[in-house]
Amino acid sequence: MSNELVSLQGIHKSFSGVEVLHGVDLTLGAGEVLALLGENGAGKSTLVKILAGDIEPTSGSIDIRGTKLAKLDVYQARQLGVRMIFQELNDAPALTVAENIFLGQWPHKGPFVTWDEMAEKAKAVLDRLEVNIPVDAIAGQLRVGERQLLEIARALTQDTKVLVLDEPTAALSNVEVERLFSVMDQLRGEGVGMIYITHRLDEVARVADRVQVLRDGSSVLTVDAKNASREDLVSAMLGHASAKNNRPELAETGGAAVKVSGLTSFAEFQNVSFTVEKGEVLALFGKIGSGTSEICEALFGLRPITAGKVEIFGKEYKTKGPAHSADQGIGYLPADRQRLGSFPVRSVAENLAVRSWQRMGKFGFVNRLLEHQAFNKWAEALRIVSRGSTQTISTLSGGNQQKVLLARWFEAGVNILLLVEPTRGVDVGARRDIYEIIRKQAKESGMAVLVATSDYEEVVLLADRALVMSRGEVVSELTGNSVEASKLIAAAS
Amino acid sequence: MSKSKNDVTESETKVRRRMPDVAPLLGFLVLLTIFFTVTSPYFLDVDNFKNIFVALAVTGIVCIPGTMLMIAGHVDLSVGSSAAVSGMILGNVVNSYGISAGLTAVLVYGLAIGIINGFFVTVIGVNSLITTLGTLATLYGVALLIGNGQTLMMKNFEWLGTAQPAGIPLPIIIFFVIAVAGIITLRRTRFGRSLYAIGSNPNAARVVGIRSNRIVFATFVLSGLSSALAGAILCSQLSAGDPNAARGLELEVITAIVLGGASLAGGRGTMWGTIIGLTTIGVLNNGLILLDVPTFWQRVAQGLMLILAVSFDATRERLAAKRR
Repeated sequence: MSNELVSLQGIHKSFSGVEVLHGVDLTLGAGEVLALLGENGAGKSTLVKILAGDIEPTSGSIDIRGTKLAKLDVYQARQLGVRMIFQELNDAPALTVAENIFLGQWPHKGPFVTWDEMAEKAKAVLDRLEVNIPVDAIAGQLRVGERQLLEIARALTQDTKVLVLDEPTAALSNVEVERLFSVMDQLRGEGVGMIYITHRLDEVARVADRVQVLRDGSSVLTVDAKNASREDLVSAMLGHASAKNNRPELAETGGAAVKVSGLTSFAEFQNVSFTVEKGEVLALFGKIGSGTSEICEALFGLRPITAGKVEIFGKEYKTKGPAHSADQGIGYLPADRQRLGSFPVRSVAENLAVRSWQRMGKFGFVNRLLEHQAFNKWAEALRIVSRGSTQTISTLSGGNQQKVLLARWFEAGVNILLLVEPTRGVDVGARRDIYEIIRKQAKESGMAVLVATSDYEEVVLLADRALVMSRGEVVSELTGNSVEASKLIAAAS
Repeated sequence: MSKSKNDVTESETKVRRRMPDVAPLLGFLVLLTIFFTVTSPYFLDVDNFKNIFVALAVTGIVCIPGTMLMIAGHVDLSVGSSAAVSGMILGNVVNSYGISAGLTAVLVYGLAIGIINGFFVTVIGVNSLITTLGTLATLYGVALLIGNGQTLMMKNFEWLGTAQPAGIPLPIIIFFVIAVAGIITLRRTRFGRSLYAIGSNPNAARVVGIRSNRIVFATFVLSGLSSALAGAILCSQLSAGDPNAARGLELEVITAIVLGGASLAGGRGTMWGTIIGLTTIGVLNNGLILLDVPTFWQRVAQGLMLILAVSFDATRERLAAKRR
């Protein structure tokens, strides 16, 4: 490597005793684009967060532009010219485009912001990106793709040496993606090193010089992008064991539980039709933003349905919101466990029983003994590792928290269960447990399960049938043994 | 270097049993009691304790729904002004139409103010701090308007505030009944448990199908009713409706609740904690009087206690965040 910018050596990282990175090396040269691939949970985000000073490694050395560090904080990382662009927006929606581009670093004279100078500089950066957005527009009123470009513009105005892009294209249209790539080409010419995290294999050849693949916290392949065949990358990502993922025994189904026809919610998804049978697990597979999770939200009443019809057990169903849906025997497991799922400071027993209080006592009272019994029953069935039913849920590992939240709906006895990214942030071992549990529960109670996921392995291991979605529409359907990783990836990109 | 740091956090996570949140406060209360017992010969005395609890009963009644609100992540600042208006209404109506009419008027008033606060918070969606700050100011004005700024004498209705069936002052009995109901509601009912869930994570509460708005609304109504009752008792004790009688009640209520370990972020707190917090304030006020400390210092002490309690809460939150 001619001009090394970043060198990470032997990075280990454990979260509450579980090691998620097992000694990963990563190097990045000036003017180089490194594509970082891997399944969900392979450790990509953890690795780049270590580079950005967000997370402290358990052990290993970090070398950025010749400065060797045992650990690094966010401030130091910025000083050294490391910038990150996340999939989620990190902007101030109430401020103008120009203010957002210079967020926190507004050009000033004394205590006063020099507005003209700022507008001028902002215009210059946007011109460079060939973006035509007025600098005095309010950021919150722009489209998501445009706001993402503002984040890139911000990185450009600062003295960026190393740019990390964490799946930035998920929310972008094709034109915007191409524009981003040409900006990356420009930056490459200026000697900026870039780490590009993506799920889309087709982007690798277009944009990257080198590819590194992570699997289960280890680096398994590093090759020149032009020598990397698609098959090599897929098998490196999946590994030999999981490449031959065994399909579960298909369920015997018993009549339609949910029937959806022509379902539409603004531009999020359009004209979607499908049926989920009793006892069946149907997966909606697609990248984040493709409409899969939005369908679950709409069915549960968290998002408006603008057209189309939903039938539940043969009767037309119009939800009046989550409380109504839950009363109708529909369960919903959100992707964002912290924000929408758990009651962090409360006990595991309470978290599990919250939906079943009505059954657990008379006249509005709750028998707490039943709460604890319910927890103990499910803790055994689902192998939930805890110190007991009174432990605060936020002190459990991600996988165990997720099991508690699943058991919440099992205990409530729902007959339709909507799951969104059910194993995001869950370690591999617990993931298999969770698949097994969901399948077993669906089979035993005849529950219909709809899973929205961006993880193809999840589809292969969990679903009876899969619908592949792209940009709000169903693009293909895979059934039985044709549900396999390569077909899913091909259909979705 | 970084290794030794990790060792420390690991050994800390092994400490499984946590001290109850009110344990330090209980210790403080015991120390305070010992201190006043030693320094004042009048402190440890049945009549003195009667005084302490009569003084606390009015605040305590308001503290019960107040604790529920705090656990759900809300606050009602209007209770002091609301109690003042209640007293003015009671005085007026009792003088003109008699006692039962007066009590009915107070009941209706309490419902109304609770509904108003609850409506703005749950239907319109205004932050509860701001809503009740607004009603606090408005109601204080209303209290002054009713009596034209004057205290309003009330005849023949002292028993609510001063009767002593079986030697126990009636306000203490009323507080006791409400407190027991509060403890049971919070610990044992779906309503109470839902309050914890709502305060712990309002978004998750919605997703899990808890009808948060209804529950918070109902709690504001309870708070309105309690402030009306508190105002009526105060008015009966004074034989007068005084627009300034309950000034600063909200401060005392919040201090007691936060001292008692309820989290300002919601989701945590107990009735017992609040009761211990309340007792601490009462003992402190009473002790300072017995020691002939000028009454102005009571205000200073109370303000400092509030800051101390909130700092304690913030520190605990930060430590909890670190432990994760």
